[in-house]
Amino acid sequence: MAAALEIRDLAVVYQGVIQALTNLSLRVPEGSIVALLGANGAGKTTTLKAVSGFLPLEDGRVTRGSITLGGQDILKLAPHMIVRRGIFHVREGRHIFSEMTVEENLIASTFAQRKSRPRKDAFDEVYNYFPILSQRRNQAAGYLSGGEQQMLAIGRALVADPEMILLDEPSLGLAPLIVQEIFEIVAQINREKKVSILLVEQNAVIALKYASYGYVIENGRTVMAGSTEELSANEDIQKFYLGVETERAA
Amino acid sequence: MNSVALFLEYSAVGIASGGIYALIALGIVVIFKSSRTFNFAMGEMMMLSAYFFYTAAVTFSMGIFFGVVAALIGSVAVSLLIERFALRPMMGRPFIAIVMVTFGIGSIIRGVVGMIWGPNDLQIPAILSRSPVLLGSIFIPGKTARAFAIAVVIVISLIAFLRYSRAGIALRAAAADQITAYSMGIDVRRVIAFSWVIAAVTGCISGILMANVNTLTPHLGLVALNVLSVVILGGMNSIGGVLVAGFIIGWLESVTGWILGTEFREITPYILALLVLLVRPTGLFGTKEIERI
Ligand SMILES: Nc1ncnc2c1ncn2[C@@H]1O[C@H](COP(=O)(O)OP(=O)(O)OP(=O)(O)O)[C@@H](O)[C@H]1O
Ligand SMILES: [Mg+2]
Repeated sequence: MAAALEIRDLAVVYQGVIQALTNLSLRVPEGSIVALLGANGAGKTTTLKAVSGFLPLEDGRVTRGSITLGGQDILKLAPHMIVRRGIFHVREGRHIFSEMTVEENLIASTFAQRKSRPRKDAFDEVYNYFPILSQRRNQAAGYLSGGEQQMLAIGRALVADPEMILLDEPSLGLAPLIVQEIFEIVAQINREKKVSILLVEQNAVIALKYASYGYVIENGRTVMAGSTEELSANEDIQKFYLGVETERAA
Repeated sequence: MNSVALFLEYSAVGIASGGIYALIALGIVVIFKSSRTFNFAMGEMMMLSAYFFYTAAVTFSMGIFFGVVAALIGSVAVSLLIERFALRPMMGRPFIAIVMVTFGIGSIIRGVVGMIWGPNDLQIPAILSRSPVLLGSIFIPGKTARAFAIAVVIVISLIAFLRYSRAGIALRAAAADQITAYSMGIDVRRVIAFSWVIAAVTGCISGILMANVNTLTPHLGLVALNVLSVVILGGMNSIGGVLVAGFIIGWLESVTGWILGTEFREITPYILALLVLLVRPTGLFGTKEIERI
């Protein structure tokens, strides 16, 4: 069953010189939603890439620290093996295959399933959570709206039947109503399927609303951690993260 | 014979040769899709396969069927070796450096084949019947017609396979976005190796067919340069377009050769490819990305 993800003292460099993370630690307990907050360039996406094994594909490298899933070291695994261990990374910007149909996008994700035989009911489950995708199943995914593309990106994760989803800025560029809708479904998936979620968001208001615990990173290091109630009550958070949001909303 | 009848006959023969072009082009496009590598050694892989067939069928008297099987096995093995030891280490290097590697591999194969089998023409066992095919009053040489039928059946089966199978979807996913493909459990390196297997198969069949229609020499692979223009014309990333483009080039070659003389035959595909590139840089059938944010 689901196991905790633990990142300890992580340091990452790109191209041998660009220090993206200096000292990052966080923990995602089984079945929880944990938010990762931070300014642009703080290292949020890099953290997720370190977990999912993408760094070598972008000339990045972990220079220090450890990443374990249920106590097992996953740092040395290739990305296609990490996803088969149950960690699915829904990338920032969605990255759906625009020239394939919605259903082909889902079929592509069956390679992430852990059993060799593709799970039959996986697609039904996706279409249950996102009925709109069912109507569009034979359309080229590039013609979906931004919100629908985000749903498809999350749907592909569901096909893999993961223990944990790394969700990078799902609200990016979407209208508040759609963001709300997507987060409700994500919360539902978390509850019903016991999938834990490591959530990266610029939108701190919504992240703190749905997560139970949060970390704040700055310049590649963890600077604050706490339950979302504690973080919401914190003055710095209110000023730099929530404050910014209210200004924006005003 | 009147000129309309001649025109039809040259057209038919041309389109028939286009079948093999499409088969070779499919091998080139599949590799291009999986790894953005332009395989200049395709012609030599094709030629080498025909020598494998000759050696198995004639030297070892294995007969045609087992000769083809042996040639397929040999071609796939060579192709996987090339991918594993020459191309994979080049991953992430500039496009032109990778192209030069495939170019070099092509020269090596040509040299080695010349050393082993000698420079002279060899006669391979006839697989294809000579008896001409008559389409109404149009006369098509028997070998060309049958090579066409075989090539088209294989091209269409492969296109259907790439379109509808899970493996085909993995190939298209890796072609579109490697990191995302990895994120979905697709082992991109295996997909690339798989595309080299497909190229080996199309190269092997087209090589044996070509050696049947013409003769077997170390220069058999030069035809792949015509196919280069097919691929550019078809649009590098369109698997379906390759079939149509193969026919168009075959047809043009044949008809211009008839009207303008054989010296023009050789350059027509290049002129056409250049013209198409000027008008449509993605080729006739290359797809534009659907973009939406
Ligand atoms: N592929 C890469 N090569 C080199 N540097 C990179 C690469 N990816 C990220 N970086 C650098 O690493 C740092 C952290 O980037 P990262 O993408 O993790 O930030 P982020 O917190 O996700 O920001 P955002 O909110 O803008 O998405 C930045 O300084 C960025 O420029
Ligand atoms: Mg980011």
